[in-house]
Amino acid sequence: MRAGLHAVSPGLIALAIWGVVTGIAMVKSGLTETQAIVMSLLVYAGSAQLTALPLLAAGAPIWLIFAAGIIVNLRFLIFGAALHPFFRDLSWRKRLLLGYMSVDVSFVVFMPRFADAPKKGTFEQHWFFIGTVIASWIVWQVTSMVGIALGAIVPVSWSLEFGAVLALMAMMLPHITSRPILISVMAAGITAWLTQMWPLRLGLLAAVVVGIMVGMWSERRITPKAKT
Amino acid sequence: MVREAHNTQGKDLMENNLYFYTAIILLGLCTAICRAGYFLFGHHIPLPEGVRSALRYAPLAALAGIVIPELLPWHPIDGPQVDLRLLAAAVAIGVFLWTRNGFLLIVSGMVALWLSRWLFGL
Repeated sequence: MRAGLHAVSPGLIALAIWGVVTGIAMVKSGLTETQAIVMSLLVYAGSAQLTALPLLAAGAPIWLIFAAGIIVNLRFLIFGAALHPFFRDLSWRKRLLLGYMSVDVSFVVFMPRFADAPKKGTFEQHWFFIGTVIASWIVWQVTSMVGIALGAIVPVSWSLEFGAVLALMAMMLPHITSRPILISVMAAGITAWLTQMWPLRLGLLAAVVVGIMVGMWSERRITPKAKT
Repeated sequence: MVREAHNTQGKDLMENNLYFYTAIILLGLCTAICRAGYFLFGHHIPLPEGVRSALRYAPLAALAGIVIPELLPWHPIDGPQVDLRLLAAAVAIGVFLWTRNGFLLIVSGMVALWLSRWLFGL
């Protein structure tokens, strides 16, 4: 467990910044402090929270908010598939809890260390993972609360809610690593721009569909053989 | 009359709360499904390569779908709008490309917004 805590500590700084930004953004989007705290405790997913805020503010339909939440969380399906062999022998309750609480940072420090481990699912691996997960949870919740408190103090004229948009951009940019991804993002952006007057913010869905289609098309066009 | 007005307002708030908390519970479910889905049912769900590569594009497309309308809003009557947020975002992207630091992206974007508002007297 201590090894896990040690490995995760640099990631915790990043997590702390996200936590404060997300906390501020929740309050500045019009949530009451109680609502913001419940959201933080229950949803526990920064990107999904930041994504949902403009949708909630616009009164978008519930199903669209759910769909958007699933889409921005999709990366965890891929993480989960990779982590699954290490935890398959635990009881379903433990798997549910550990899965629910796992975050990007825990995956990022766990996989390089144990991906090639000859034996998967050891005591050491479990406790390493639990260490990263608990530390991340505490840091995230505490810094979110700090952000919520700050958000209530800072005046509206500072436009701190813009920080949430910037935070989403900071999440996107490091992942734009290839030309097909760039083209896909640009296509999704243009679609979102053109369709933003659609009712119920359905343009978001159009942007995702176009983004996937253009991405896969340009992957085939530009890099016929390369597989990343 | 006054009491009635009070009641309808209270009801409105309750409905808003209902809307909010329904959304929050479902978002919590999103977290659980995506993160714990494989942990729970991993033996049964294969993830074919085709689906995997399609899934790679979805999250970034969704984020772009959220960010772009915030930066380039479209007014119901006046059509497309450009404001200082776009400028601030451009500065922030530049800073990120230069430093590769997400924290500096946020800080520089905020500072650029404040500075440009002050310069343009808005």
